[in-house]
Amino acid sequence: MRRAAILLAVASVVGIATERGAAHHAISAKFDDTKPTTLSGIVTLVDWTNPHVHVYVNVKDTKNQLLNWAVELESPIDLQQSGWNRDTLQPGDAITVQGITARNGSRQAWGRSIVVNATGRQVLNVKPSAPPAPLQARPTPLWPDGQPRLGAVPGSDGYWAYPSATVLVENGVNVDVDQYGLLKNVADAAKVAPMQPWALSLYENRQRRFLQDDPTFINCKPPGGPRQFQQPYGIQFVEDRSRQRVFVLIGGGNRNFRVIHTDGRSHVGQVGGDDDNPLYYGRAVGKWDGGAFVVDTRGFNEDFWFTNGGLPHTDKLRLVERFTRVDLDTLRYEVTVEDLGAYTRPWTAGWNLRWAGGETLPAHFCQDNRP
Amino acid sequence: MRRLLIGLLSLVALAGAPLLAQEGHPLKGSWIGTWSPNPVHGNDVLLVLSWDGKTITGTINPGTDNMAIKNASLNPDGWVVHLEADAKDKSGAAVTYVIDGKIENLAMHNRGITGTWKSQRGTGQLKINRQ
Repeated sequence: MRRAAILLAVASVVGIATERGAAHHAISAKFDDTKPTTLSGIVTLVDWTNPHVHVYVNVKDTKNQLLNWAVELESPIDLQQSGWNRDTLQPGDAITVQGITARNGSRQAWGRSIVVNATGRQVLNVKPSAPPAPLQARPTPLWPDGQPRLGAVPGSDGYWAYPSATVLVENGVNVDVDQYGLLKNVADAAKVAPMQPWALSLYENRQRRFLQDDPTFINCKPPGGPRQFQQPYGIQFVEDRSRQRVFVLIGGGNRNFRVIHTDGRSHVGQVGGDDDNPLYYGRAVGKWDGGAFVVDTRGFNEDFWFTNGGLPHTDKLRLVERFTRVDLDTLRYEVTVEDLGAYTRPWTAGWNLRWAGGETLPAHFCQDNRP
Repeated sequence: MRRLLIGLLSLVALAGAPLLAQEGHPLKGSWIGTWSPNPVHGNDVLLVLSWDGKTITGTINPGTDNMAIKNASLNPDGWVVHLEADAKDKSGAAVTYVIDGKIENLAMHNRGITGTWKSQRGTGQLKINRQ
């Protein structure tokens, strides 16, 4: 409510903000949109656990045999923000589920709608939570020395979320792609970024497999690279000026963090001296360039996808990121990707994030490697 | 009992999901398997392959035979692999291996290459998997 009062609609530089009610992986990675199903049965268990809630239902098949189905829903956070809790449904409740079934033929469904038979009430649905844009731009908060603050001012809370784009596509390219990075037409793959032939074929392969090989989906691998700024649960900057470093706290995944050093150190001795231990978030050094915080990161490992949608990268990946707090509520993120192991030339992309004022990072965990 | 049930159901939910995904260049890494029958260098083979952005490099049986790979290529249209390497037999005579194969289960961390090998001393099947 507080956020709603603060953030009222006006055209800011932010485009269409992504709503937070989004699964941590492409739903189509696991479920087949072309296989709808209706399940009527009795709830046996509500598993209210990250990353996704599951409702287990006993359903009679055509031979009158009871079969237990797992109905997967959004995360506990998204459901709670929509007013639901672990007691919304109880074992013994009779429900009807509309959904789509799992690609692997198992008794799993993605639940698009759950209705309690006794009352006709729809439950456990997620209401969009993206805030309206502010009526007018509020000034960028500054440190006493005039440097823009990346985080909240003392005595307040806030984090960055609602990215205006959740896919990495080269600036100026227009392709039809969903919020998980799944292209509507795989033939558009070559337009997304200047990939080497092997990288393009691998990207197409990942797309044709509906992103089901995503290490974040399968193994809860951290969202390194630009992907950390595409997360539905946002990020938070913590500026530790006394020790000349900036932490980026990740709102999803495993709640891990990235360190950006601002003490003037170079990559020499970081990457070159320790490059047998490349990292998910690489080794980052940052400095201020006028009103922009510029971060140069190298030393990535290859064990993750650096963007939604599965664009490949190699350990030669170097990212130059520019963070500009345009106003209190808007953070412009621009990234130049240099990876001559996978791409033919450097290329640039960018989007905006919105300030979720008065809130702390949601406690979403990808735990137990459970998809 | 409830925990047991949740555990069992979670296992059901996990069924069919690959354990580790493919990342990086598809040929990069250590590959172990067989190239048999190979009376000169044995039936077991280890390849360590790398990618510098332009060229595939690597070694066959590092530490023992140390055959440097040359003329390596990967055609992403079908994921067709071609590798060559020079070696010597026990008498010191030159042996050149030519490996042709195809990557299988591309999306998996432990993807494989199956194909053939040939040299002046013989030919046979190659089957290796990435570690």
